[in-house]
Amino acid sequence: MTGRDPRKAFGAAVHRVARENDDVVAISVDSGLSSGLGGMKDEFPERYIEVGIMEQAATGLAAGLATAGRIPVLCAIAPFVTARNFEMFRNDVGYMRQNVKIVGRNAGLSYSPLGPTHHSLEDCALARLIPGIAVITPADCGEIEDAVAAMIAHEGPVYLRLGAGTVPDLYETGSFRWGRGRTLSRGDDLTVISSGHITAEVIDAVLALQKQGIDVEHLALSMVEPLDHDLVVEAARRTRRVVTVEEHYVRGGLGGAVAELLAERCPVPLQVMGAPHRFISSGPYRDVIEGCGLDAQSIADRAAEFVRATAPVTTHG
Amino acid sequence: MNTIDVTAAEDIELRILATRARRNVLRMLDAGGSGHLGGAYSCIDIVTALYARVLRHDPANPGWTGRDRFLLSAGHKALAQYAVLALFDYFPAEVLDTYGAFGTVLPGHPDMKKLPGVEANTGALGHGTAIAAGMAMAARTSVESWRTFVLLGDGELAEGSNWEAFAMAAHHRLGNLTAIIDVNGLQISGEAEQIMGMEPIAEKMRAFGWVVQEIDGHDYRQILDALGRARVDTSAPTAIVAHTVKGEGLGRLAGTVGSHYWTPSREELGEAFIELDRRLVSLGRERVA
Repeated sequence: MTGRDPRKAFGAAVHRVARENDDVVAISVDSGLSSGLGGMKDEFPERYIEVGIMEQAATGLAAGLATAGRIPVLCAIAPFVTARNFEMFRNDVGYMRQNVKIVGRNAGLSYSPLGPTHHSLEDCALARLIPGIAVITPADCGEIEDAVAAMIAHEGPVYLRLGAGTVPDLYETGSFRWGRGRTLSRGDDLTVISSGHITAEVIDAVLALQKQGIDVEHLALSMVEPLDHDLVVEAARRTRRVVTVEEHYVRGGLGGAVAELLAERCPVPLQVMGAPHRFISSGPYRDVIEGCGLDAQSIADRAAEFVRATAPVTTHG
Repeated sequence: MNTIDVTAAEDIELRILATRARRNVLRMLDAGGSGHLGGAYSCIDIVTALYARVLRHDPANPGWTGRDRFLLSAGHKALAQYAVLALFDYFPAEVLDTYGAFGTVLPGHPDMKKLPGVEANTGALGHGTAIAAGMAMAARTSVESWRTFVLLGDGELAEGSNWEAFAMAAHHRLGNLTAIIDVNGLQISGEAEQIMGMEPIAEKMRAFGWVVQEIDGHDYRQILDALGRARVDTSAPTAIVAHTVKGEGLGRLAGTVGSHYWTPSREELGEAFIELDRRLVSLGRERVA
């Protein structure tokens, strides 16, 4: 599998849409160049607004620009544009319903060596709590490119969640559909739902499960809000058990969204896999992922155990 | 220099208008039972002057893209803006009587999606200046070029987000942005300087790169002179530090912390109406004389 850097894919995609749409402006909080926006800065310096390290004012600025028809794209390390500025995100962008695109990069544990200040394990939950915010969680760079085009075309506030490092290419570019998930494999024993850049890891876990004879339906959701209700409920009804996997806390993100949906429409056993709800020790990315049980082998082992534990009791007579 | 002259006759007209606006505030309190009167009355002369003499605006077309923008960073002073918008026919005066009711277009803090003329959903302090900076920045690259005015309170200055926005506006040389700081010296728990000293406000704003004017925020000549000077497009944003009296306009409330959020008895409200009505009669006599 070939792989690319999400930040470069994102920056180049914004640059492309900016060529077609004069209203697109990038706001940098000393973060634009490391978000891949150097090309945009060079070609359109008047549409590349640097404000330094001030995420609160940057968010208000974005809302103000949007009231006059601009389409601001504010990208930085995920916790600083979701948690640090949360009230501005909630009020100035959400409550004012402004056409602002907030982009959290290095989301999840991709800044694993830098520790909990730079981990972003609640950004999905925070964005999802704000009424009217669409939350896009692309799994690969092609999907990031599609998501950038879609979020600019969408009139309304968006949170786009990006990973980092080298993300394998999984999908055909151009196949992203707003609010719609993807079915990566069909099966009747277990539904596994993933979103975001950890999906590549989950694909490997699903292969391992299938080798064990567990028939897995794998759904990859490109958006957590709006969630693809029909896709999730249909699979849950058929497989009668669901596992969710995300590089996010086990509270409030994809797992939380799926739990809320299934509790109402199809209550079945559900296992939410993600980072445990505590401040995670720093360390090399692979070590931290394994420590959280989010590597392919751990995901497969836990899912297999979940299938055994939830198997219907058979009577022999 | 681009100041705005105020003749004696115009001064009386503005004072009549502002007294009618203060009366509109009482009308909303009559409907809702309570409200943030103190800060509304400390800034209402400035808000009246803005709509009467400064802002390019069209009540019949509040969404006109070329309009000047005026927003409250201190969103709890919304009663002042509602009162003045009603005077300028942004909405029928009867709507004032819905204040405090479920689903009113006049919520305790302003909502741009509910009431034409409102530019931002403020009320959480320390948000307005950054939003205003965005509006001002957009004006620089728009065909229609508008000015943006944002009104803050002095107690609000303790919010650090303001200072991010002040630095940003100066760095980006937003000469089309004016911040009016309503320094009434009082906030909910007492004297602003005792709670969190932010003085010298004017010096701080100068140090942040703003052009600063200090005025008496109840004197129309000074208000309009300062707003006129701010209109001169400079390379720096303008801060007007307006010294005001909280609750100004009602004898028993002026200068009191208790005016911040006033829950009057029927008698107190009745007396307040009488006081303002007498004031209108007396101003009417001055106008004739």
